[in-house]
Amino acid sequence: MKLSYEDIHVRLGGREIVKGISLTAREGKVTGILGPNGCGKSTLIKTTFDICHPYSGKILADGKDTAGMGAKRLASMIGYVGQDAGSMFDFSVADVVSMAMYARKDKSRPAKEVVHQALEELKMSHLAERSILSLSGGERKLVFIARAVALGADTLILDEPTNHLDIRHQLFLLDYLKQSGRTVLIVLHDLRLASHYCDWIYLLKDGRVEAEGTPLKALRSECVRQVFGICGNACRNQDGQMDFSLFSGKWGEE
Amino acid sequence: MLPVGGKGRRQNLRGLFLFPSLTAVLMVSAVVTISIGSADIPVSAVFGILKDCLFQGGRELEEGLWSMPHFQIVWNIRLPRVLFAALCGTGLAVCGSAMQSLVLNPIADPYILGISSGASAGAAWALLAPLPILPFAAGQYQTTVMAFLGALLSSYVVYFMAKMAGGGKLQPVTLLLSGTAVNAVMSAVTSFLIFLAKSPESIAAVYNWQMGSIASAQWKTLALPAVGTMGGTVIFTLCGKHFNMMMMGDEDAQALGLQVKVFRSAMFFLCSVVVASLVSVTGIIGFVGLVVPHVVRLLSGTSDNRLIIPLCALTGSIYLIWADAFARSAFGAAEIPLGIITAFVGAPFFLFLMIRKSTGENSL
Repeated sequence: MKLSYEDIHVRLGGREIVKGISLTAREGKVTGILGPNGCGKSTLIKTTFDICHPYSGKILADGKDTAGMGAKRLASMIGYVGQDAGSMFDFSVADVVSMAMYARKDKSRPAKEVVHQALEELKMSHLAERSILSLSGGERKLVFIARAVALGADTLILDEPTNHLDIRHQLFLLDYLKQSGRTVLIVLHDLRLASHYCDWIYLLKDGRVEAEGTPLKALRSECVRQVFGICGNACRNQDGQMDFSLFSGKWGEE
Repeated sequence: MLPVGGKGRRQNLRGLFLFPSLTAVLMVSAVVTISIGSADIPVSAVFGILKDCLFQGGRELEEGLWSMPHFQIVWNIRLPRVLFAALCGTGLAVCGSAMQSLVLNPIADPYILGISSGASAGAAWALLAPLPILPFAAGQYQTTVMAFLGALLSSYVVYFMAKMAGGGKLQPVTLLLSGTAVNAVMSAVTSFLIFLAKSPESIAAVYNWQMGSIASAQWKTLALPAVGTMGGTVIFTLCGKHFNMMMMGDEDAQALGLQVKVFRSAMFFLCSVVVASLVSVTGIIGFVGLVVPHVVRLLSGTSDNRLIIPLCALTGSIYLIWADAFARSAFGAAEIPLGIITAFVGAPFFLFLMIRKSTGENSL
């Protein structure tokens, strides 16, 4: 599914946080949103589910305006995992994942099977009966992603999903997302991971899109310096893989 | 890392095992507590009278097997009272559990969040200065309607004040402070109404009623609270999975397909209906909604509302049945208001939860 944001504005506490952003998550591709802290990344993607803040602009799912859709229908189309997903109440991992059944469209398979498969895909099925409170931050993050997968949606929006994950699990998760064939809109901070895994990147600064394109184009040195104030660029390494390298004078000072 | 095990399944099994156990305890408690009071009646006589009246149409009573005074005490005085205690326990406990999920705060309950005092102020208004503009609602009905309006007003004021003070988010501290502020205002409204009241009898009645008591329970006053509480409990139980989603936080719940704002408003409304239907008859009985859900979560080892809400109904009933039995028997003929007993139990429990939270024990 193609997901487009058209001219999104969000005001918070009298300040405009998102200033007319338009971007598109392409069907079956991984689209990255990158930018310094406070540039409006999370605020932008939260508008998808009308979470917390009123906004102006349009969000289109396969060309249809999401504004008129109910939360349940939207949830069956788009899985979302926020930055600080969690709970202070005690649920088993399987119970947490099974909450996805509420909005899941395809009810042909029993909940237990759907939950098991989602956990299996994220290699978390051995934790199914554990309390969510007993898991580490990284394990919890994977459980919430498994819940988004269990929704059966073909689009995923993930806000910093690699937070709290060790490097092995970061690579595992991004490999999984890349190979899943889903439309993925992902907020990332790690420019190396973004260069390697994203098909398309939007660079945000002060609530606006500063640059967009393939990693090679969006993360070229002048854009990186302008947005992050550092010197570096996306490049191909010796194996021909996408990578990101910092220059020796990395702060970009004259 | 904790050892891997079948914790979730064991929790659910434990929760399911609690249903028959608590139902049995509730039945036995009801019969035993009916026998307790200023006039001692043997448990066997209570059981016999109840069995006769419920299943044999009072045949044995007509045959003179049971004494008339015993029948009067058991059937017309104590049974409605025990049923009312059970209803109060059920209503306040399920509302406590629902509110803790709605505001994502384990120390929420109708008393702490000011709903009970809002209902109390509304009911005091109806008792001391009945409004002639509500001709359809006289007596208990007007008290209930006014209590409901007071409860609704309080709950929304607390919710929006807390959200505003928390910069758009519900923070535990701002929620408690808003509850305390609204509690203070609503108590002041009640005191002001008492100050304005002319009849000493009605002032005394409101004073007594403010301390929380179910001494006035009779068959005829049972209908409204029964409808409010049972209706609320059934709806809360059916919405168990929605409450579970709410416990994940607004952002997650909305992304899982729940219309968070609509659901929260509807459930606050329902909480106000249940609390008002009870408070309009009993006055303020505090802390039940705080204590019971926590005890149930500890007993069952889960937070799953599909289990917790009905278990709260059973446990809340048992708790208040015994608290009321203590209230009417501990000091002979003199009866302690029930609200005093629940406060003595609940306030230290509240402190315990605060200490537990501040020491980082968040598992609730």
